[in-house]
Amino acid sequence: MTVCNAVRLARMPLLRSEEETKVRDWFAELERPVELLIALGPEETPRAGSGDVDFGTEMVRVCEGLAELGERVTCQVEEEPEGFPRFPSVSVRPDGRDVGVRYDGLPWGYELGSLVGAVVEAGRAEPTLRPDSLAALEGLERDLAVDVFVTPT
Amino acid sequence: MLLAFRCALASERVSTTAIEANEFPQLSQELGVWAVPRIVVDGEPRWDGAVPEAEFLRRLLGQNWT
Repeated sequence: MTVCNAVRLARMPLLRSEEETKVRDWFAELERPVELLIALGPEETPRAGSGDVDFGTEMVRVCEGLAELGERVTCQVEEEPEGFPRFPSVSVRPDGRDVGVRYDGLPWGYELGSLVGAVVEAGRAEPTLRPDSLAALEGLERDLAVDVFVTPT
Repeated sequence: MLLAFRCALASERVSTTAIEANEFPQLSQELGVWAVPRIVVDGEPRWDGAVPEAEFLRRLLGQNWT
């Protein structure tokens, strides 16, 4: 029997048992609610090797899986919401507010840690940057859009 | 990656998007993404690789840029 990539992924647990325990502990410490808004829509054809993976479906599985690990983490799905240039995407929203923290594409493998980290950071009541960094950002007189290109390995 | 997210959470003027390079090959090619993390600011490739917080802020805000 041939098992396709999509089926293989769907059967794969999101986190190992010890990782899940850690994430539950981190999410239990969140000081405010964090919403994961998943934006689904037409997807670009990825590089060869991705096979039949449905990135949107997998994104929903990943985010819903994370939401199950903390009472203050919620998840909702929208089809082609305004302001999202790429799909799938997830917007990490402290108190449900769009503060400009997003992940475009599937945060799988090593990058799942980045999404978990984004939730933990968004759940903090105060910023965690150093005071001199915060002072430098306060002096910003224009908007900055930072894109960080990553890969899952 | 987290450092960039922290900047967005700390400042209303900063937004940060992580982009999975393999899933968006056209955009990655346009921006010459051959190494990760590649940091792009306002659509302009700026640097590759992780750097400490102070250096990240210096590069992001254009202070003492080298």
